Amino acid sequence: MTEALIQIEGVAIGYDGHAVLSGIDAKLDRGSFTGLLGTNGSGKSTLIKTLLGILPPIAGRITTNPLLGHPVVFGYVPQRETLDPVYLLSSFEVVLMGACGRTRPGRLLGRGERDLAHRCLCEVGAEEVASRRYSQLSGGQKQRVLIARALTTRPDLLVLDEPTAGVDAAATQSILELLVRLNREQGLTILMVNHDLPAVRRTVREVLWLHQGTVLQGPVDQLLSRERVEELMELGL
Amino acid sequence: MHTLLEILDPGFLLRNSVHVSLLVGFVCPLAGVYLVLRRLIFMGVALPQISSAGIAFAFSLPALGVMGHAHAGHFEGDQRMLAFLGGLGFTLAAILGLALLGRRGAGLPEGRIGTLYILSGAWSILLLVKNPTGERGLLDLLRGEIIAVSNLDLGLTLGAFSLVVLVLTVFKREFLFVSFDRDMAITLRKQVLLWDCLLFLMIGLTISIAVLTVGPLVTFGFLLIPPLVGHLVARNMHQLFIIASAVGGISSLAGFALAYHLDYPVGPTNVALLGIVYLATGLGRMLWRVLSPSPARSR
Repeated sequence: MTEALIQIEGVAIGYDGHAVLSGIDAKLDRGSFTGLLGTNGSGKSTLIKTLLGILPPIAGRITTNPLLGHPVVFGYVPQRETLDPVYLLSSFEVVLMGACGRTRPGRLLGRGERDLAHRCLCEVGAEEVASRRYSQLSGGQKQRVLIARALTTRPDLLVLDEPTAGVDAAATQSILELLVRLNREQGLTILMVNHDLPAVRRTVREVLWLHQGTVLQGPVDQLLSRERVEELMELGL
Repeated sequence: MHTLLEILDPGFLLRNSVHVSLLVGFVCPLAGVYLVLRRLIFMGVALPQISSAGIAFAFSLPALGVMGHAHAGHFEGDQRMLAFLGGLGFTLAAILGLALLGRRGAGLPEGRIGTLYILSGAWSILLLVKNPTGERGLLDLLRGEIIAVSNLDLGLTLGAFSLVVLVLTVFKREFLFVSFDRDMAITLRKQVLLWDCLLFLMIGLTISIAVLTVGPLVTFGFLLIPPLVGHLVARNMHQLFIIASAVGGISSLAGFALAYHLDYPVGPTNVALLGIVYLATGLGRMLWRVLSPSPARSR
């Protein structure tokens, strides 16, 4: 039986005490690749932010299952528009931020951390943009840099909020292939919000679907079968 | 050049004013960079005004019978410290109040800042209307008359600004991180609230000290214009801090020399000069972009 990295039990999520979604029961297994689906406003980003500790759950319990007593580390890839282009940061400096969680305040980042940041940039195929200003990169390049930053945290769970939104087809394919490789070769647990149903179907292995106030979880071939999707979308085809 | 040499002479009568101008010129932009990066430029305008209201409150205390009367419009010792605490207290209370309201997400942030700005101006006048001595002191501050700077003021400014520079330098990475990507910082278990508080404490301290010594006009001039100039030409964050501080420091010295030479008030001259520098830099950058071949335009 696969070990759960994150267990969500009876959780209600929302803002200022107002629940967007309640009674959520789900789990993320170690090494799994899960797609988080749902229509706009269904609570996907709120669920992610609650998992990450950015928002407190209104009710229920989120349990993490750390290895060797170390707290679970989240590698968060936010929607790239949330990062303000006014900051004159190079891509390498953005990636290096991933090491901030391990470095004590006021201390310089060591050579080891800088090497790791560089390796992560190479890993995602973005080493050539290391010295370029982050705000001047294309959508796909920015996404790769943010994935490299998340990898620099040495994460137990990589959480991506719509990593392919607004990215062209070739870059989308390339980013999804990268994520599949990270999951298969490194055993990295991944949770990805994505609106692109065909892309999710051929990428992830598990699906969490927020649908009309309920949360469905299951293997991709069951939950995203044509019949099931039509049933869920109430298309009645 | 002769004027510049004269004001830099150790025996110059207004040497404290020169030194305090330089300190404000070099240090205010370092704090102002964060206001620009966090898109809190309106706050950079409102906070010095709010700090002035705090100082006006302190100046009004003698008229309210809380303290002894001040003489000749200039406060010494305890009264000066009270004015500093008034400015700092009002500034920090405003930052805290705006942050709490901002987190609740109610109303328009610009509306709150604008209202505070206007109310601070009105309260400053009302608090001092029955206190001619304090009113004169505040009027000097509002006009940016950097003339009567005592050794105490200089020492206080030097001490406080040294602390600000030290904290902003040592914790630059943390301040930039929580400013750039707050959510990511939370996921990495950074004490975001604590870093925000420390940053705004430093900004509040910078503004309070600067307003107390050079007035609100000069303070918001040096808080905002040098970082905006720096942002036009810098290629990275390191350069942004250095250029902003250098523009502020050099402009303050040049402005002081110009004002002394032309017999103008120092504060408005400094700010006017900063405006010219901003305009010239903007025009220069436009010209550069037009004349350069396309690869060089990437900046």
